[in-house]
Amino acid sequence: MTDVNTENKLEAMQRANGPLLEVKDLQVDFTTDEGHAVHAVRNSSFSVYPGQWVAIVGESGSGKSTSAMAVLGLLPGTGHVVGGSIKLDGQEISGLKQKDYDKLRGSKMGLVPQDPMSNLNPVWRIGSQVKEALVANNMDIDHEKRSEFAKALAGEGMELKGDDDETFLGSKELPELLATARQALVNIGKTGEDLDKTMAYFTEEWVPGSETRWRVADDLIKAGVADDDAWYLAKKYVIGSTMDDRIAGLLSEAGLPDAATRARQFPHEFSGGMRQRALIAIGLACRPELLIADEPTSALDVTVQKKILDHLHMLTDSLGTAVLFITHDLGLAAERAQHIVVMYKGQVVESGPSLEVLQHPQHPYTKRLVAAAPSLASQRIISVKEHGGDAKAVMEHTVNESSLENGEAIITVDHLTREFKLPRRKEMFKAVDDVSFSIKKGTTLAIVGESGSGKSTVANMVLKLLEPTSGTVTYAGKDISAFKGKELLDFRRHVQPVFQNPYGSLDPMYSIYRSIEEPLRIHGIGDKNSRTARVRELLDMVELPESVMSRYPNELSGGQRQRIAIARAMALDPDVIVCDEAVSALDVLVQDQVLRLLNDLQAEKGLSYLFITHDLAVVRQIADEVVVMQHGKLVEHATTDEVFDHPQMQYTRDLLDAIPGGKLQLGLD
Amino acid sequence: MGKYLLRRILQMIPVVLGTTLLVYALVFALPGDPVKAMFGDKPVNEAVAAQIRAEYNLDKPFIIQYLLFLKNALTLDFGKTFSGQLVIDQIGRAFPVTIKLALMAFVFEAVFGVIFGVISGLKKGKWCDTVILIFSLLLISVPTFVTGFLAQYFLGVKWHLLPVTAGSNPGFIDLLMPAMVLGSVSMAYIIRLSRAEISSNIALDYVRTARAKGMDNKSVMLRHVLRNSMIPVVTYLGQDLGALMGGAMISETIFNVHGIGYLTYQSILKGEGNLVVSIVTLLMLIFVVCNLLVDMLYAALDPRIRYA
Amino acid sequence: MTDMNETNLSTALPGQERYVAPLEETPLKAVDSIDESAPASSMWSDAWRTLRRNPLFIISGLLIIFIIFVALFPGVLTKQNPNYCNLDNSLDPSSAGHPFGFDLQGCDVYARVVYGTRTSLSVGVFATLLVVLLGTLIGAVAGFFGGWVDAVLSRLTDIFLALPILLGAIVVLQMFKTSDSIWKIILVMALFGWTSVARIARGAVLEAKNLEFNTASTALGSTPGRNLFRHILPNSLAPIIVVGTTSLATYIVLEATLSFLGVGLPTTTVSWGGDISHAQSILRTNPMVLFYPSAALAITVLAFIMMGDAVKDALDPKSRTA
Repeated sequence: MTDVNTENKLEAMQRANGPLLEVKDLQVDFTTDEGHAVHAVRNSSFSVYPGQWVAIVGESGSGKSTSAMAVLGLLPGTGHVVGGSIKLDGQEISGLKQKDYDKLRGSKMGLVPQDPMSNLNPVWRIGSQVKEALVANNMDIDHEKRSEFAKALAGEGMELKGDDDETFLGSKELPELLATARQALVNIGKTGEDLDKTMAYFTEEWVPGSETRWRVADDLIKAGVADDDAWYLAKKYVIGSTMDDRIAGLLSEAGLPDAATRARQFPHEFSGGMRQRALIAIGLACRPELLIADEPTSALDVTVQKKILDHLHMLTDSLGTAVLFITHDLGLAAERAQHIVVMYKGQVVESGPSLEVLQHPQHPYTKRLVAAAPSLASQRIISVKEHGGDAKAVMEHTVNESSLENGEAIITVDHLTREFKLPRRKEMFKAVDDVSFSIKKGTTLAIVGESGSGKSTVANMVLKLLEPTSGTVTYAGKDISAFKGKELLDFRRHVQPVFQNPYGSLDPMYSIYRSIEEPLRIHGIGDKNSRTARVRELLDMVELPESVMSRYPNELSGGQRQRIAIARAMALDPDVIVCDEAVSALDVLVQDQVLRLLNDLQAEKGLSYLFITHDLAVVRQIADEVVVMQHGKLVEHATTDEVFDHPQMQYTRDLLDAIPGGKLQLGLD
Repeated sequence: MGKYLLRRILQMIPVVLGTTLLVYALVFALPGDPVKAMFGDKPVNEAVAAQIRAEYNLDKPFIIQYLLFLKNALTLDFGKTFSGQLVIDQIGRAFPVTIKLALMAFVFEAVFGVIFGVISGLKKGKWCDTVILIFSLLLISVPTFVTGFLAQYFLGVKWHLLPVTAGSNPGFIDLLMPAMVLGSVSMAYIIRLSRAEISSNIALDYVRTARAKGMDNKSVMLRHVLRNSMIPVVTYLGQDLGALMGGAMISETIFNVHGIGYLTYQSILKGEGNLVVSIVTLLMLIFVVCNLLVDMLYAALDPRIRYA
Repeated sequence: MTDMNETNLSTALPGQERYVAPLEETPLKAVDSIDESAPASSMWSDAWRTLRRNPLFIISGLLIIFIIFVALFPGVLTKQNPNYCNLDNSLDPSSAGHPFGFDLQGCDVYARVVYGTRTSLSVGVFATLLVVLLGTLIGAVAGFFGGWVDAVLSRLTDIFLALPILLGAIVVLQMFKTSDSIWKIILVMALFGWTSVARIARGAVLEAKNLEFNTASTALGSTPGRNLFRHILPNSLAPIIVVGTTSLATYIVLEATLSFLGVGLPTTTVSWGGDISHAQSILRTNPMVLFYPSAALAITVLAFIMMGDAVKDALDPKSRTA
């Protein structure tokens, strides 16, 4: 098998070369305002070989990003390396001066940062921000001039080494090149469809500023043109590109369509995915040997995420770039990287080949992580089913089929439509377009969709925080649009929300006690003593100690705040809870904990949930039914098992494909 | 851009009308009879008073007075002062002086404010930052008229570096001290603003990304930190240019500069309502136009605003 | 097929061998556990803790306490009557019991500086209170109701903003020159000063209004009015407090400036601005007569500006959620 063959060859080369990046016993401290040292990273070791993808996996605060930034010499604020060594290509870099670091960054180490929204300077054009990277590393137009100069000195007959691989196609010569290439193909007897196909291939492949002389010659030779003729053409027409071509070429390599025009635009004219592609172009502009990708896609929609990572993988493979991939998603890490490093509270707890770590986690923390990761959980169910086993054993939530079939609907959404007026536009924007479904008592219905799908707008209409343009929402048989005064208050009492942002949904000025007590107070339930007792009970329900009553939201973690929000929602004994991305902002383990809590509460109290999420993997852990939304429309509506096992629509299949870890063998056979 | 400009100009109209109405009301509708004030301690000759009232439209209802004023103002006819001089002449004489003074103050505060602010922001926590910070804090705390006297005493009286007062036809050297005093408080604010902007921008993600590209510290600072930090500073400067004209009153009074501020103050004291209203209208128009220019400038500096 | 050693295939690359940290070195904590030992802290107590550590706050705080003390009990610092002036003493240098000497009218400069504190401070405090109340009311109404109410109030704010406060104040005060009340100056300051607070209050209310906890409260059954008073206003207070502290300094300066121009407080009231104005004619010969009230004024203003800076650092919404 050739696969094994190349793998072996690669490994031998890596072994011979030694590690590209070697981090040993790294220690990073931050100094607090009071002058205390906080150990952000302790005794951590990992290494990256040339051409390898290595993933560091961990939750927020695990030290994964800090380790990566320490390698780049870009620790924020008071952070500094206090111990251990960082070797790049065998050379110690941890103690380098910033000036010397400047020489390594960009050319030897590149960065693709996490948040595409904040990592591009809003006042400069995309192209000029790519150009900065080239200029900073003397890879601007000077290079081509220099080689021309060198060539002149050496004389026509001499061939300069590496020149063919560093001379790019220019946009000026492209039309002529294509014309002569066509002629060359005709000359060797190609006609008709065959000729058109080859030319179409050339047109697509020969991107100015990206395609090199060598590759043009190679393409021609592969198409059947004689070696000498091919090289003659390549040398005649591939004579170096302008700076603008090169920038457009880099952007187009990163997967940005219409790159030459896009390069002249500003960041705010780009979508998140496009910005991330621009950042990838910047990170790879100077062909670094090591690319540090710090959660490069976690701010993007899942389908975009997959496309971008696929593209990045293809690109780094073709350039032979090694990647240090930082992520919180174990499934994603194992899917993309050959080697994974698991970090926990500043320390490496486990590392090894991806599949091995995943299949046989040894450290209790890794075991926990493997068990909790939603992407792996849904993968596990699929593989159990594929092997004909009973999937119920590995499911946190099993579909409540009897309730779905026989239960009465508690919330019914009928032909719901909501339009918004866009600023300075005449036509209305349909955020939600004719959506109908119903939630059966005691079950969970999940609405899945990417940003802009209208899923949260539906949630707000169900909560009567937003009035529909047309269509109705019925609660317990009554149209909620007519609710006023006492009826509305009664409805509010029975339908409660838990929102996405655990930092925003609790008033920072309110103690936890006051926050949970607020609904009781609004509805005038009980006296001071009975309310205190109720708050205690609710805290117990969400497994938080009584002592948090006197605390304030800023002292609690995201997961704890979300549990407080759930306790508040439970205070009035509601029938329905609307969870709008309630677990999206949480770390995997905490997310798992909150999902379990929601499942337990449902089993105990017979609650019904409307669960809004962008993450199909989470759905499997909580929902009985799934509604898939795209661009405001309902795409698919079925039971969870149906959606996962027999998705009907292409979009649903795309979403399922985008769950990381799809191709992983979890070793259950 | 054209649409944006048009919208902004349309928005300006109610503000301009409202402010002139407000000033007009303050000057002419409040208790206190300007005609009586003219006679001072002398007994009022009712016939003469009535004639004056008719001449200055003071016998008509307030809103008619205002509309007549507006109508005349549109043709640049601001009428006469009670002492019989053309308002436009008075303003015409004082205005060039104030423009000169305000521009000098503007250049002073812009140049030194930005220089000190940038040094302070880049060397945050170092001794020069602390010194600049204390210096700017002092400038803000000491009222302009006190700064003026201190400058007058030390630079003028004691060390004889600069002329103590400017007089009626001041040259560059005469206006140097008044301009510095006029610009001093704004300079301190610019220092603080630049410093705050730089120290918050320096921690932004795109600055780190720029470093990750391999750019050296100087280019990162110039292209990413300073370029972005200067947007609010330039905005502040633009707004301040409009305010400097109106704020010249104290400085002009202390240094006896016969500019707009001096003229305003004198005409308020003398009860020359017509002159006061005309000057304030003019100043306000300058202020509003400056704000409009700032918005245009802002759009030019920040591409995000460009098509909004 | 290749020249490489087959046994190498299964072994990892050097440095990438399977590694599991010893459990004793990496103890596992309960998921999302709460540190119950830490003291509870609200936003205000956090702010207070930050303030207490800020030298700027300590210095300005001590200064302000001293200034308030002087304003309340001027008699403790001097036994002289600030209004007792004897032309025989005109411009006498300092002597026992008269540390700053005498001014042109023969009044005791030290006594006038001490008694001037009360005037400056009370004008500043009352003007600030009025400005904050008026500004918060208008700003909060504009931000909370939005729509045409906001449009009208915002235009009104623009109108007042386009008129320089000093100019407006002089025009109005000139009309009421005959009135001896200290309140005329406070009211005039409030009339022209509310705009800055209104703008900030409007922004703060708009921001707080869009925070998720308001939506959450509405969904819990709370009414908009209840939200305004229970959630939005308390959460908008921080920036208003900051602008209020700095305003205090601004109004003390403004009062002094107006008194200096002769349209502020009546000449019978002891005030720093008035004294500075009177001393300007003798600047060339007796600069110290002008210097003392100026220094008192500058120190007071400095104290409040430093306090404003310290409070801003502590209450900065950017550092709040961190």
